[in-house]
Amino acid sequence: MPPSRPHIIVEDLRIGWGTRVLMEHVTFDIERGTTFAILGGSGSGKSTLLRYLIGLEQPMAGRIDIDGVGEPHRYEGVPPFGVLFQSGALFSSMTLAENLALPLTMWTPIRGATVRDLVQAKLELVGLGPFAEHLPGEISGGMKKRAGIARAMMLEPALLFFDEPSAGLDPISAVELDELIVTLSRDLGITIVIVTHELPSIFLVANSCIVLDKTAKGIVARGDPRALRDKSEVPFVHNFFTRSSPEASVNQGR
Amino acid sequence: MTIAVRAEREGDRGRLVPVGPFDLAHAPAVATAVAHIPPDLEGCRSIDVDLTHLDRIDGAGAVLLARFLDRLDPDGDRARVVEERNAEAARLITRYRQKRAESPPARTRARSALTKIGAVAADLPARVIDTLDFTGGCVAALPKTVASPRSVDWRSLPRLVQQIGADALPVTSAANLLVGVIIGFLGVSQLGRFGAVVYVPELVVVAHFRELGPLVTAIVVAGRSGAGLASEIATMKVSEEIDALRSMGFDPMRWLVVPRCVALVLVVPLLTWVGDALALLGGLVATVAITDLTPRAYVLATMDAITANHFVGGLIKSPFLALAIGLIACGQGLATQGGAAAVGARTTTAVVLAIFGVIVINALFTLLYVVMGV
Repeated sequence: MPPSRPHIIVEDLRIGWGTRVLMEHVTFDIERGTTFAILGGSGSGKSTLLRYLIGLEQPMAGRIDIDGVGEPHRYEGVPPFGVLFQSGALFSSMTLAENLALPLTMWTPIRGATVRDLVQAKLELVGLGPFAEHLPGEISGGMKKRAGIARAMMLEPALLFFDEPSAGLDPISAVELDELIVTLSRDLGITIVIVTHELPSIFLVANSCIVLDKTAKGIVARGDPRALRDKSEVPFVHNFFTRSSPEASVNQGR
Repeated sequence: MTIAVRAEREGDRGRLVPVGPFDLAHAPAVATAVAHIPPDLEGCRSIDVDLTHLDRIDGAGAVLLARFLDRLDPDGDRARVVEERNAEAARLITRYRQKRAESPPARTRARSALTKIGAVAADLPARVIDTLDFTGGCVAALPKTVASPRSVDWRSLPRLVQQIGADALPVTSAANLLVGVIIGFLGVSQLGRFGAVVYVPELVVVAHFRELGPLVTAIVVAGRSGAGLASEIATMKVSEEIDALRSMGFDPMRWLVVPRCVALVLVVPLLTWVGDALALLGGLVATVAITDLTPRAYVLATMDAITANHFVGGLIKSPFLALAIGLIACGQGLATQGGAAAVGARTTTAVVLAIFGVIVINALFTLLYVVMGV
């Protein structure tokens, strides 16, 4: 049986603004049904790269191909993926149920009780069943993120992007969210791309990853995060996974 | 493509066979297929759900099938999804059934029109108290501002004067000029019937200097700067900047409200004064254009009509109108709670209240002048 085609193919991507190049020679594949992490320190361009993957920006050069249907910034019609933004990005004037129903009423002919059933099921999937009629301002940050995940899943995408899902959450909420991500990937077979710098999350959820570095203007390592932690000889990658500063590793070397 | 749920029965054992694609793209057809419980299955002791003939299933299809099974078997002990034949689909359906069983019922927010009216009425005393509280806070802030000038963000004052004053000058000037033209035309058409065109300059002076000049300028400033100030402070409130100010020991009333009100009080009389001058020009253009009155005669008649009473009587109102705009806009901004939608709602309320407020204050001044015989 031939190996299945990667879900996302990124080839020789160059991104930036005007004449300023932020990253170049960015090449990686993401396998179907896996959880892939985009890692790097603050300002390394993780979230920026995500904006290109979901088609909010047009690359200067190179190619992004999602599911073999072409470049994300050229998509028209039903988006083939769902996105969880850092803040959850729920519409504050709508209840959670209305937020979730929005993509369904926009892109499908489904109406009425069926919409309510689908919305309620997704809210229950992320543990927010009793909060359907709450406004985003009435729930906590962690709950907003879970509601954001539910909304991202409303069109049953095979691919989900998460931008810093654990940022600003307490450790328990962060672990609950990580477990939800693992469940989504395992039970629903969804490909998940997650942008983060939270080490516990990375080891819990990610099958493979790339590590970005702003000084290298691109990818400095790729592979299984546990293997990179244990075996990488790249100083930045070693420091990143062992939570140490460059000075500390120099001192350790003495 | 056929989408159905076939039901078969052997004695007290039933069998359900979903057929076709059970996914989001076919959700309306799936919803129709699972809308009714087949009568064949009533009274069955056990029901096997055979997923062999499912072409496709995703979360949406699984939810609809899970809800169907919930209705068919509320206790969850009769219907059994046969996992061996389509393990992935069975897992998906089971996940949505389990979650359903674990969750408590959702609370409802639906409210009738009568309930809404009641809620607004019940909210009224709290709103009045909030308004009084804010007014009291402003009054209390004044002596504190004098005692501690550093508690006010004076550095923002030049920027505010620029935004509220200089940037608004074209629009207030244009509005006043046009009002002058309108009074001129109106005066000519009405006074002309009695051969009293020569009194049009006096009409423009009295009507505009005493009433319309301060009012028109204040309404334009309320619409323009009132909205700007309210939305700025409302955005600061929802993005926790006001909380940050408080946490650092700043009083938002003094730090934010005082410089904005001071800027308005300084600038609105100046805008009114410029507006008065342009209204005279508008009246002159209108009158000279359609009557035999010469520009020189018009200017001389205007000079005779301008008295200190008219001029000062108008300008003295402007600071009060400006203060009302500032307090209403800042008060609404600080009262914002919620997200982006609340910013819009508060801004709208601020503009409406500010315009209504300046009209009421102007009317009160007019009444006062009449009583005083000014």
